[in-house]
Amino acid sequence: MSLTRREFGKKVLASAVGLGASLYLPGMPFPREKESFVAVARSTKLQRVGNQVNKAAAAEYLALSMKAITGTPSDASAWKSLFSADETVGIKLSCLPGLPLSSGRGLVMAVVDGLRSAGVREENIYIWERTGRELKSAGFEISHVGINIVGTDYYSNAGYSRDIVFSGSVGTCFSKILERVDAVISVPVLKDHDIAGVSIGMKNFYGAIYNPNKFHGNRCDPYVGDLCNHPMIRNKLRLTVCDATRVQVNNGPAFYPKFAREYGGLLVSRDPVALDYTGWQIIEEERKAMGLKSLKMVDREPTYILSAAKLGLGRADEKYIKKVNI
Amino acid sequence: MKPINKSLSRRSFLKLCGNTLTTCAVCSLPFLDSEHLPAAKGEPGVKEATYYDVLGEKKIQCKLCPHECRVADRERGTCGVRENRNGTYYTLVHSIPCSAHIDPIEKKPMFHYHPSTQAFSIATAGCNFICKFCQNWEISQKRPEQVEYMKMPPQQVIAIAKQRGCKTVAHTYTEPVIFFEYMLDCAVLGKEKGVPNVMISNGYIQEKPMRELCKYLGAVKIDLKAFTEKFYQEICGGKLKPVLDTLTVLKDEGIWFEIVVLLIPTLNDGKAEISQMTEWIVKELGPDVPVHFSRYYPTFMLKNIPPTPPETVITARKIAVDNGVKFAYVGNMISEWESTYCPSCGKVLIRRMRFATRIEGLKGNKCKYCNETIPGVF
Repeated sequence: MSLTRREFGKKVLASAVGLGASLYLPGMPFPREKESFVAVARSTKLQRVGNQVNKAAAAEYLALSMKAITGTPSDASAWKSLFSADETVGIKLSCLPGLPLSSGRGLVMAVVDGLRSAGVREENIYIWERTGRELKSAGFEISHVGINIVGTDYYSNAGYSRDIVFSGSVGTCFSKILERVDAVISVPVLKDHDIAGVSIGMKNFYGAIYNPNKFHGNRCDPYVGDLCNHPMIRNKLRLTVCDATRVQVNNGPAFYPKFAREYGGLLVSRDPVALDYTGWQIIEEERKAMGLKSLKMVDREPTYILSAAKLGLGRADEKYIKKVNI
Repeated sequence: MKPINKSLSRRSFLKLCGNTLTTCAVCSLPFLDSEHLPAAKGEPGVKEATYYDVLGEKKIQCKLCPHECRVADRERGTCGVRENRNGTYYTLVHSIPCSAHIDPIEKKPMFHYHPSTQAFSIATAGCNFICKFCQNWEISQKRPEQVEYMKMPPQQVIAIAKQRGCKTVAHTYTEPVIFFEYMLDCAVLGKEKGVPNVMISNGYIQEKPMRELCKYLGAVKIDLKAFTEKFYQEICGGKLKPVLDTLTVLKDEGIWFEIVVLLIPTLNDGKAEISQMTEWIVKELGPDVPVHFSRYYPTFMLKNIPPTPPETVITARKIAVDNGVKFAYVGNMISEWESTYCPSCGKVLIRRMRFATRIEGLKGNKCKYCNETIPGVF
């Protein structure tokens, strides 16, 4: 078959347009919109009762937050704009501190309901953490039936990839669970971190690699950004839902009641940097309210968030972060 | 292995080399005598650590290695095998090695310490460095729950070593500093039972724990990875100065020790650097410390640099000899410079080809030809 010069040019142009469109599909991470939306919900209903997060309250405020950040009219359409029914989705929890300060079960199950509303099948949902032991300590039972609740440890028959991957200053092996899923939701807890300054959504991915202890130098900067810049995370992370029902303001990342605040909050964003930046500012405000010095003054300013912004992972500039209070 | 009769023919010697290599391969199979357990079934291996300071508010500062990690509650140090639990620091790897093999002591390499004997060699997960060229990264860079391990308390370690005819127990493969408590307990028991323990280490340890170990260990081998801070910081995640300090502590303690330098093209194989390093060794540690120059092979995170040319290793050895090192060797390659020569009469004392060893010219710790005293433990 022969093509004229004009037809050939047309086809090339059409292909280029198609390729451009395919590079920016709905549901893809880090949209290049004018502003990054971060929903900040607060309510006494979101405060923990004992160590439990109320699922109905979490679902109510999560739905409002999802509509706010996606600009869609309904809860279900918000989830459908980010996830499609045939996808496998990992929900990365943060369970190191145990039940009092881990990703609240009520909130996690509200996220699961959101995915269900987008048509994602239960068996394609992986609630996941570094180890089964940590999941159990946070009140989750390991399960391979229906929704998968698994750790990356030997016990869960998951493990880490055999090949070393590189991303900037980071060389590591990823959790096979992360490799297995099409999309990821990070569900961290809003907390102070003794080395990094704060540990929120991006640092949560230290629980997705086999050697996190090697990347805590220089307050985790630039390691957190470099890690999240790897396509394995960058291309899969669709949403961060931060449990701020109880916030560790100082002496984290473990639970330390003296410096914990019953904040009754929830932070939701598609931009992981904007969410971490917003969470950092909340911790600074709460520190101030408790009479504590700023993180900069105690030499723990989380500059890794700023470095991540420089990599193009999201925004850490208030001019471009649209905070939506709910 | 018994010393080889010196009247062996060339054919017999080569045959013996082949047999030895086969034996090594068999002995390198995972040690299956002990119970293999998956991680996360309970918590074997957990024991309170030594050498740490309590900082208050449940924080601690590790004082075992020069990193001096400040560790918050529920967190771990750089090594990944020591964890703060509610303000108390624990080792997570006591008595749970993930690797156990029987090796010739020459494989460590250690050439002047009970040559031609076997070492029962063990390691747990973890390391305080992140050397980009690590051969054993699949265990050294992992956490204890990420590897299979076996339960093997010190009593069992010493019993297996004796049962298998091993002269020594070697703490090796990963970084024994990070399983300090386990190594120390094995060394104390080994000294009592006549099975000396040796530490094959990067030397990244503080003075106090090193001096405590010296009371019980039989010998130490230190990897001197380079002679620049840049290399240590960029390639290993550590510092040079503390390693040099450890070497001077070993000298001061009078324990037998040897040094290994892995030469990596363009990174640490400059003639000036080798010269400075060996000058320092002779001046600070003396000319009798054996120095092994080894070839590097691409692995782990360093796959873009080709293997070290043999001539680079030979040159480094010559620089060392010219600077006064009496016992300079080459490793990870076959060469005449694997053998030990009398520094006085030049005759072969111990002939080696890879891990095959033949003691030819030693009588006790003296050269049988000229009666020169040869440093080491023979």
